[in-house]
Amino acid sequence: MGGANPAEVAQFIIRSRIADPCFVHSLFSQLPDSNYSKLKYIISSSVTEACNNSVLLLGSRGCGKTAVLELVLEDLHKEHPDMISVVKLNGLLHSDNNCALKEIARQVCMEHQLQFSKMASFDENSKFLLSILRECGLAHKTIVFVLEEFDLFTEGKQRLLYSLLDAMQSVLSQAVVVGVSCRLDADQLLEKRVRSRFSHRKLLFLTSPGEDFQRLAEHILLLPMDSRLPNDFRASFNEKLLNILADEEFKGVVDQLCYSESSVSQLLRFLFCAVCHMDLSSGSLSIQNFKSALPSIQRQPKQEALKDCSVLQLYLLVCMRRLEVKELELCNFNSIMKEYKSIHDSFKTSDYYARNVCLRAFEHLLQRGLVSFQDNRGQGQSAEFRPVKLLISWHELQQGLQSFRSCPPLLHKLMDREG
Amino acid sequence: MPAFAAPRHSPASDPTSVAVTPRKSRLRSDPDAAIGSPLRKSPRLCKEGSPNSSPKIEVIRKCLKSSLNLSESPEKKQLTEDFVEGQNWDPREETQLRAVNETLHVSTAPASVVCRENEQNRILDFCKKCVKEEKAGSLYVCGCPGTGKTLSMEKVKVMLVDWANKEGVQHPDVLSINCTTLANMSEIFSKILGQTHYGKKPSPSTSSLQQLQKLYSQHTPGLKMILVVADELDYLITKDRAVLHDLFMLTTMPFSRCILLGVANAIDLADWFIPKLQSLNCKPMVITFCAYSKDQIINILQERLRALPYTVFQPQALELCARKVAAASGDMRKALAVCRSAIEMLIGESMLSSLDETEDQQRPAANDMMSNIVRINHVAAALSKVYKSPVVDTIISLPQHQQIILCSAVKLFREGKKSTILGELNKYYVDVCKSTMIPPVGILELSSMCRVLDDQGILKLGQSREDKLRRVTLKVDGADIVFALRGVRFFRNCLK
Repeated sequence: MGGANPAEVAQFIIRSRIADPCFVHSLFSQLPDSNYSKLKYIISSSVTEACNNSVLLLGSRGCGKTAVLELVLEDLHKEHPDMISVVKLNGLLHSDNNCALKEIARQVCMEHQLQFSKMASFDENSKFLLSILRECGLAHKTIVFVLEEFDLFTEGKQRLLYSLLDAMQSVLSQAVVVGVSCRLDADQLLEKRVRSRFSHRKLLFLTSPGEDFQRLAEHILLLPMDSRLPNDFRASFNEKLLNILADEEFKGVVDQLCYSESSVSQLLRFLFCAVCHMDLSSGSLSIQNFKSALPSIQRQPKQEALKDCSVLQLYLLVCMRRLEVKELELCNFNSIMKEYKSIHDSFKTSDYYARNVCLRAFEHLLQRGLVSFQDNRGQGQSAEFRPVKLLISWHELQQGLQSFRSCPPLLHKLMDREG
Repeated sequence: MPAFAAPRHSPASDPTSVAVTPRKSRLRSDPDAAIGSPLRKSPRLCKEGSPNSSPKIEVIRKCLKSSLNLSESPEKKQLTEDFVEGQNWDPREETQLRAVNETLHVSTAPASVVCRENEQNRILDFCKKCVKEEKAGSLYVCGCPGTGKTLSMEKVKVMLVDWANKEGVQHPDVLSINCTTLANMSEIFSKILGQTHYGKKPSPSTSSLQQLQKLYSQHTPGLKMILVVADELDYLITKDRAVLHDLFMLTTMPFSRCILLGVANAIDLADWFIPKLQSLNCKPMVITFCAYSKDQIINILQERLRALPYTVFQPQALELCARKVAAASGDMRKALAVCRSAIEMLIGESMLSSLDETEDQQRPAANDMMSNIVRINHVAAALSKVYKSPVVDTIISLPQHQQIILCSAVKLFREGKKSTILGELNKYYVDVCKSTMIPPVGILELSSMCRVLDDQGILKLGQSREDKLRRVTLKVDGADIVFALRGVRFFRNCLK
């Protein structure tokens, strides 16, 4: 790719890094205190010391539990080739005992090139599981059972969990059970004898946006030594990037990004968006890219709908809001028209339109999703008589009015009055 | 069965290892291994398998120091005189570490079972009586999880066979069933039938239960006694309690040859579920395995550690562990897990100190003796890890708006209500936001944040046609939330 624009190459490199979870989480693998090293120690000690273990990974969705687990397993495969075999189960699919045993048998047969029979009964499958555990124990091969959505396995009689964790207690088997769940009290959901067999090791995946994001951004965005990139381009790109990351404005953008969700996957989406907005002619990222990425991550669909409304439709919305404040039981098109007329009478506005024009505007509001019918009764009646409700809150409406291009000041006054 | 690669034999002992391995380890696959001896996994020296792969030393030191949170214990000097020392052990030595981990692992059955001799003898006497008199009988063993029931049953089975061989009496066939593995309830009868008849298939017209009943209601000479050990008996409980009933009734038949030992957790299983037996006056004998007391736990741990030639634990540390576990549940598995966790804390600390040594040589050699024993602070850290709930840490690291939602929920529920609808919560949330000049988010985003909190188990969100009408309940104690948010001044004032 000699003749290509180095900015394009840089964009390509960064985007492929963001899309690779192993690369993203390898940042945390250097720290000895991180969850990566703790998990690696637990599984590798089972491989080297031939002891059984069980561990639970807890954390909210998108914080990297499965990614770190995959990274650990990949690294251990490289370090101890052919000594680990992995069986993956998911609570959404395999919470039923029969289903789970069949799936375990299928995966083991596939890995060791054995004949798998779909007709095998429950009894045969459970005997197969026990003998697999015994044989792998004798051959010093560790089996790692990965149970995703662990809390869904705890419904019902928990037979699968009991048999797996019971196998951990016996000296004949060599296996590790790793449960992944987003419920913090997943181990409280276990029955008492299953909980007694569980080893109470929990690894908590917490995300603290501040310093972590800085490190993550540097890890992903700083360009590496690559043959496709000229050296001076790389150096100038990295320098500009470091300046941006240290900027106060950037920190403000990050704070706003994290105010409602601060998981790793949210941050990755933000970085991807920002990199896509990169100006290829200038050849580097700028603070503007990050700022323009923010609204595409935090979309406000109601604001976007408001932006396209006409002034008449805004009047109708404000009238509905006033009716809501007055807490009238019945709010339908007729009452809105009455309110509209009373405003016109008291303020002598110039925006007074005929009834059929208003009805047309009202129907557009219904289609846009800013108002809707209260219930599904009275389908036969026309839109004029059916009760309606607002789907947009006072605060959002006020924000929309303030950013509207030519909002009549009367509307502001009307809105502020009820506040 | 598929054949795997032949198991590796234990490698020749490493000439550089100093410690004496405590016991001769056998290969599990060794065909000459005696049946009664506790089988042990063969150790493997895996050179690449050390827990620390080359990280930067500075980073380790800082991180370990902050994370381990171990204070320098001021009692180091005094405690040296307090206990009798055995030979010292080096936690960094791999073979020693492996040996210690093995002795403390739950799967290692100790050679002699301490603190359960009384119960074992009672069960054994009952079985001996049944075998000698060639009569059937039933026994029910109950107790909390982790109190040594299955372990004792294994020992009793072995001891019974030995005794029968010594006495010259015909020893009974032994059948162990774990009731969780049964596909359906009546399979237990076909298993018992299979054991007695050595392969006589049950005919399709009569069920296995009927065949057994027929067999036991007439005199069959030469039929061997059969000892049935049924683990996790409460899995056989159905609405009409038929299976459990029939199982115990089998032992009351005139010519029955079945000795039934049932194991479960419920203390009053026999009373509740087998009332007919009571009326027939053949209630099974009940043996209760009480939860372990503090002294028993200390005894058991010391018995396990006695096999090692060096002292691993300080006596006070063992006592702290035993006290805490006995007060909580009396579960031996938990005690072993805490001990292993404490050893890992010690390893972490010794890694830290070895890094310090390499960095500045002027420091006088740390008190080696003290640094190789698991002390009270290690056990305390391990106990807090096992018993701590992750809720407080998670709330502290939640994003801002989710914390505001929790704060408004606490305020709402303080007024006495137990649950509310999303619309109400929205109102309180908007109020709280207004008081700090933070712009509140719309109802859609609020509802998706509540769903995230519901996933984590902090709130509970019900179902409803309309979003605003969904029921919201707090699953976490309000005091925990107040405690977690006390670091932020705004929440402190808000929740006063």
